[in-house]
Amino acid sequence: MSVLKLEEYENDFWKDVDNRMSWDQIIPGDLRNTKPVSLTQEVISQFAKLIGDDNPLYHDEEYAKSTPYGGIVAPPNIHIVLMFACTDITDWMRSPGTINCGQSWYYNIPARPGDTITMRGSALDKFIKKERLFAVHENVFTNQHGQVICTGRGQTIRPV
Amino acid sequence: MSTHAEFNKITSGEKITGRPFTVTRETIADFALGSLDFNPLHFDEDYMKEQFGKTKFRGVIMHGMQNFAMITRTLTDWLTPRSGYHRRLETRWLTPVYLGDTITPVATVKRKLETGGSRWIVFEINVTNQKGISVATGEAMAEFADVFPGAPT
Repeated sequence: MSVLKLEEYENDFWKDVDNRMSWDQIIPGDLRNTKPVSLTQEVISQFAKLIGDDNPLYHDEEYAKSTPYGGIVAPPNIHIVLMFACTDITDWMRSPGTINCGQSWYYNIPARPGDTITMRGSALDKFIKKERLFAVHENVFTNQHGQVICTGRGQTIRPV
Repeated sequence: MSTHAEFNKITSGEKITGRPFTVTRETIADFALGSLDFNPLHFDEDYMKEQFGKTKFRGVIMHGMQNFAMITRTLTDWLTPRSGYHRRLETRWLTPVYLGDTITPVATVKRKLETGGSRWIVFEINVTNQKGISVATGEAMAEFADVFPGAPT
């Protein structure tokens, strides 16, 4: 388990490009390699600011306590960063040219500072449409109590 | 005010307009660090001159999930003071968003529903750019439960 620090991740997606699975190699149902990360109040606030969300629920403990959440929580869409945070540089979602077509996410309970989040993810399907290579994928994020935080599905066009 | 009373005040057809968001190289760099998504689609103008299968872009594009994040912000900003819980968001990207574009999300209350155990709102989502063209559409769902999901006990 490691504490999520955004600055510690590789920002060159060309690195290790040859070690990532291509569309041909992706096997629907195979689990992606993941590792758990834990969330601090600082990284929650930093994430929210960087994606343009200034709701005080993510930044101001006094305000957050006055809401039904009872304290600072992570934004529901924290899965945006968790997907990259829980996978490594060789994960195929980092392949340059990966085009996101749409996503659907279900939110069960919020992630909170101090939570350790585990990702379970795989492709579910792959297909070709109009000469484009598509993958359908699903991720589930759970906390240290085994409670589901959120589940989501998405479709991406894979680089040739 | 009770969650039930808050739910009752919401009317079908009600429109929630989010704050406009303008894409710059700085917002893209911020989003990349926040999301850890450093795909060259969002940075590298030379790379974007290439052909992507049948797709061709006219420059670097905004992260699709930035769109998703602005829809989320619109919903949670509105729901939190009403004790509503953001349960679900489904989106489809229709057209790329480029540098200098300004996007505005609108959520429209489509349906109010009471089930055996809870109360639900279904929203229709539309995100338009400065030309009024839809860049993303979707659906969202919020719950107005008696017990707030994941509330500390």
